[in-house]
Amino acid sequence: MHIQDGVLSPVVCAATGAISLGAVGYSVHRLKQSVGDRTIPLTGMMAALVFAGQMVNFPIGAPVSGHLLGGVLAATVVGPWAGCVAMTLVLFVQWALFSDGGLFALGANVLHMAVIGSWGGHAVRLFVQRFIGDSRKGIVVGSVVAAWASVMAAAALFCLEFRLSWPPSEIDFSKVFTLMVSFHSLIGLGEALITGVAISFVLNQRPELISGSRRLSRGSSVETITRTLVAGLVIALTIAAFLSPFASNDADGLEAVLAMLNIDLNFTGSVPGLLEDYDKVPVPFAAWQSIAVSFAGIGGTLAVFVLAWLLGKALPAAPPSLSEAAGE
Amino acid sequence: MCHRWPPFAKLFAAIAMILAATCVPITHGPLVGIVACVIFFAHTLARIPLAYVGRRLLFFWPTLFLMAISLPLSQAGQKGWLLFVTILVRGTLSFSTALWLVNVMPFDQLLATLRRLRVPDVLLAILSLMYRFLFVLWDELDRMRIARSARLFRKPSLWETWRSAAHLVGRLLIRALDRADRIHGAMLSRGWDGRSRWIEQLREDRP
Repeated sequence: MHIQDGVLSPVVCAATGAISLGAVGYSVHRLKQSVGDRTIPLTGMMAALVFAGQMVNFPIGAPVSGHLLGGVLAATVVGPWAGCVAMTLVLFVQWALFSDGGLFALGANVLHMAVIGSWGGHAVRLFVQRFIGDSRKGIVVGSVVAAWASVMAAAALFCLEFRLSWPPSEIDFSKVFTLMVSFHSLIGLGEALITGVAISFVLNQRPELISGSRRLSRGSSVETITRTLVAGLVIALTIAAFLSPFASNDADGLEAVLAMLNIDLNFTGSVPGLLEDYDKVPVPFAAWQSIAVSFAGIGGTLAVFVLAWLLGKALPAAPPSLSEAAGE
Repeated sequence: MCHRWPPFAKLFAAIAMILAATCVPITHGPLVGIVACVIFFAHTLARIPLAYVGRRLLFFWPTLFLMAISLPLSQAGQKGWLLFVTILVRGTLSFSTALWLVNVMPFDQLLATLRRLRVPDVLLAILSLMYRFLFVLWDELDRMRIARSARLFRKPSLWETWRSAAHLVGRLLIRALDRADRIHGAMLSRGWDGRSRWIEQLREDRP
């Protein structure tokens, strides 16, 4: 997930850096406003937890394993402002201690994982919760959907940044985005599953720890409108992720297919295994890859909702004391 | 000898090197070579063992390579090789520069430098707390992992692995929040009033 230096152009790095700086600055401002003395140890601990939680491996296939990103988890437990700050610090320390992710790309990374993950994830969760209710089921289902949407929105944003970074003559972006989106829909499923199971575990063991949801959803009307806007933005970006492969530039579909069929002639020599496979993909008509992406999108969406429903069912009925505990 | 430079010099040297590495066009071969030489020279100046850098690069390259190779692969090997090389070279150079900074700049010195750059106190307080307890949580995670594998007698299915890993995260979360409460109590009993105080100059004077 981490973007290294050199992937995005300096201008894009500067722009995303400026946006992230504003967003994180606002988060710090809100954090300072909220009751002071407990937030610092809580946020610091949350940041350390997300950092450590990213070390837990989730095996996918034999060599491949995924890990938690944690933006939605952090926002669910400590709220969007502290969650955003915690995620930002995690990303910063990952650069400063392990040189993971780039320095100039830090702005983009913060925007993708901290701002979209915490602000966006929080807004989407509350948006979903409005339909399901503030019960435990609502929290789990909301956070599962939010985790998935935040990863897809980040992928869409990355596609946009990548498109702006390089001249369109260099490569055909629609194919890169196809790869990117199908890859991230897998990552998003993993993130949704991990976040959902972890949150339902905490809800079962210590429900009072995740108590912010009720208090926060009773905000002023301006806050509600802003949150709805943010949620709408994230959902729009999620949809945009599946549309991004259609954003073709110069080469039209037929040309692309011809290029793909031609590859035998000049390229099998160097990387035989991979490219031969790629070549044998049946190409009945030009739009096959767009259709593949649409299927990935629909399948992914369905899988997330099934997942959310199953997790919601797996939870025991909420004890009556929860609403009081949450109302405090 | 880089270790004894003033912290600002180290930070700005690193920023300048990363800037050079990411801005020089890849087609200007000699210029890229010069930047690479400067970074390599900085490493030798700081006496960072070559084997160490190599080992870190071995861990780093596969992910960068996967990211970069997806470009030409998605173009069916037709276009995108220049971009592939660009990303590989720039990524490698900026990674080694960051590695240099990590090695010549201890974390508390970095904190002091950030403080002098007027990063908000709240952020620094959270950052120092996070850094302090990061390793504690890692140790805790390790113990939980050992406990889990000690009680596991067969190979778990994929779903079981996932569930137990997510429960590991959840359990760690509960423990971390409890620890945060205890820390908060300990801070209160030592007169914490929500403002952070820093011992100035302490880290600066140390070589």
